[in-house]
Amino acid sequence: MNQFGYLSISGLALAPALLAVAVHAQEAPRTEVPPGAQTTPSAAPHSTLAVDPNISRLFATSCGWCHQGGGRVAGRGPKLAGTDKSDEFISRQIKQGKPPGMPAFGKSFNDDQIRAIIAYIRALPETP
Amino acid sequence: MTLNHKRLLLLSAAASLATVLAVPALGADVDVAKESPGDWLTYHGTYRSYHFSPLDQINAGNVKQLKVAWMHQPGRSTRGLQSMPLVADGTLYYSGSYSRVFALDGATGQVKWTFFPKLDDDLVKAQTHSPYNRGIALGHGKVFVGTVDGRLIALDMATGKQAWDTKLIDSKKLTVGFTGAPLLVKDKVIIGAQGGEWPWRGPIFAVDANTGEKKWEFFTVAGTEEAKATWGNESWRTGGGGGWMPGTYDGQTNTVWWGTGNPAPLYDWAGPKWKTEGPRPGDNLYTTSVIGLDPDTGKLKFYHQELPHDAWDFDSSVGEFVMIERGGRNLMVHPNKSGFVFVYDRSNGKVENVWRLVQNINFVKDIDPKTGELVGRRDMVEGSHKNLCPAIPGGISWNAGSYNPQTNLYYKVGQEWCMDLDVIKTQPILEPMAQLNIGANFKLTNPEGGKAYGHVSGRDPITGQKKWEVKFDEPPLASLLSTGGNLVFVPDARGILHAYNATTGEELWSHNNGIGHVGGIIGYRAGGKQYIAVMTGWGSLVGDEYAALFGGPYPNMANDTGAIVVFALP
Repeated sequence: MNQFGYLSISGLALAPALLAVAVHAQEAPRTEVPPGAQTTPSAAPHSTLAVDPNISRLFATSCGWCHQGGGRVAGRGPKLAGTDKSDEFISRQIKQGKPPGMPAFGKSFNDDQIRAIIAYIRALPETP
Repeated sequence: MTLNHKRLLLLSAAASLATVLAVPALGADVDVAKESPGDWLTYHGTYRSYHFSPLDQINAGNVKQLKVAWMHQPGRSTRGLQSMPLVADGTLYYSGSYSRVFALDGATGQVKWTFFPKLDDDLVKAQTHSPYNRGIALGHGKVFVGTVDGRLIALDMATGKQAWDTKLIDSKKLTVGFTGAPLLVKDKVIIGAQGGEWPWRGPIFAVDANTGEKKWEFFTVAGTEEAKATWGNESWRTGGGGGWMPGTYDGQTNTVWWGTGNPAPLYDWAGPKWKTEGPRPGDNLYTTSVIGLDPDTGKLKFYHQELPHDAWDFDSSVGEFVMIERGGRNLMVHPNKSGFVFVYDRSNGKVENVWRLVQNINFVKDIDPKTGELVGRRDMVEGSHKNLCPAIPGGISWNAGSYNPQTNLYYKVGQEWCMDLDVIKTQPILEPMAQLNIGANFKLTNPEGGKAYGHVSGRDPITGQKKWEVKFDEPPLASLLSTGGNLVFVPDARGILHAYNATTGEELWSHNNGIGHVGGIIGYRAGGKQYIAVMTGWGSLVGDEYAALFGGPYPNMANDTGAIVVFALP
């Protein structure tokens, strides 16, 4: 079974904010996350929408090395699923890193990608 | 005594004094090629790479009396001290995180000089393999150290003043630099770039030791036309392959032996069709290979690719190349991260034997001990895969084992663990850029039917036959040291430094250093006394796995501290 792959993520709970982020990203790329895009896991109703497969790929390219199980479990880096951190906090961590261990990806990912990564994290189920 | 005799004696005394004075106190005439039992002049001890100190003042009979003689706290030991200290003429030199270099009196620890390079903070923050430094090289009156922002720096051994600073890599563009120790070979300093996961071509550089001028550069990825043809779709442009640990030099054949890193992305969704499909179709030369280079020209003399088209991140960058003579043959022993140990003919790099250090291996069914050919590869297509063994940290990690020519045993850490992974069909990365290139999500697991653990064993280095083994709840991650006193020192992950009888494996002594070990250990002499120096501190990439996998002390073990601790008899 493809437990972690993007092909199977369509059944996962997903925040409606992902759509908001995606739409916003198309309309106004490289801007800060709008207040309306902030979500908390508890506020996320279930949906059958698919996570953008490009972001699942991006996560497996550069993030999954430390945030293991696709961010669902703790490994070198912390478990991301169910995080209570704000979007701003996560965005800052991705851009600026957190030494030691978390590299600064501010020059690797643009704002659209970072917003989509946050949406990917929000869509992860809290229990693996 | 006649006046002439007195004059001759005075002249002779003056000449002797001049000779003494002509040898600078800090050993400016270090010759790495000469055996020097009281020193530790190069990363692997000597070019023979034994990590063995012949000194026997501390021995199996008196090791119980071993005490801390002195310590040095370098500060800012982010991710622990991972380096190998060096000693010349009683002075100890070592590097810490951020490529800081210290020269200390080997008997007292008194600071002689320090050097703190100014690094590009943005680059330090942007790298996964950062900010640790794994060691230095000595020679030509200088200390050589690499930096994570792509430079090689030479310091005056006597004063610590910078002699030259050569930028070798555009780290802003490539996000790779140097973490491994350089290797001095004749008049050149050789150093490999870090990172198989970052999309570049893993060069190995040679720099003039006296001037800092770059003399040659060998691309471990597609370094020849023959190699370029083994990367489909021009994937060589982003192939990875950094040779990030120092190899060694065989003076008999004038050959530098070096191990290279894995190709990128680490995992390949093409599965069994990897020869023609996927992100990097082909064998991917010279990644995950042992290469022989001419130190004068940088030309390739021979190679053996230990894992053709490595699809598991089991690279060959372990820097140990242990020179053994047996039955009139000159052999070279090289551990691969996969948990297999390769034995080569030193004259031509041909495989002589392959043996298993660890039990949990299923990425191949076997490796043919006569040819080195992989048998029954486990090439994983896109999707989920359970129980791949060993896990990504490997059956063998980058720190060094030790060979004791008195017991004829090779002491080495083995790691027993597995992982579940999900291979993802990621977007190919076509140009070098500041981005990791992994290709999977994964999670470390216990081996089926048991728990993850580690072991240190004493074995025949050519056949792998085991004489003794000690098990550890978690694999030790530091280098080992054996000595002429029939001792093997093992710095473990929890912070205990153990001394074992080298012949039997019986534990004779231990000391709690208060934090895990992920760096080097050496023996040396200063002021007629033998010392054992070990690096402490925690937080390596493999060590970062321990919190989730083992729990225990690891979730809250500090990763921003570490010291050098030096032991001696009272």
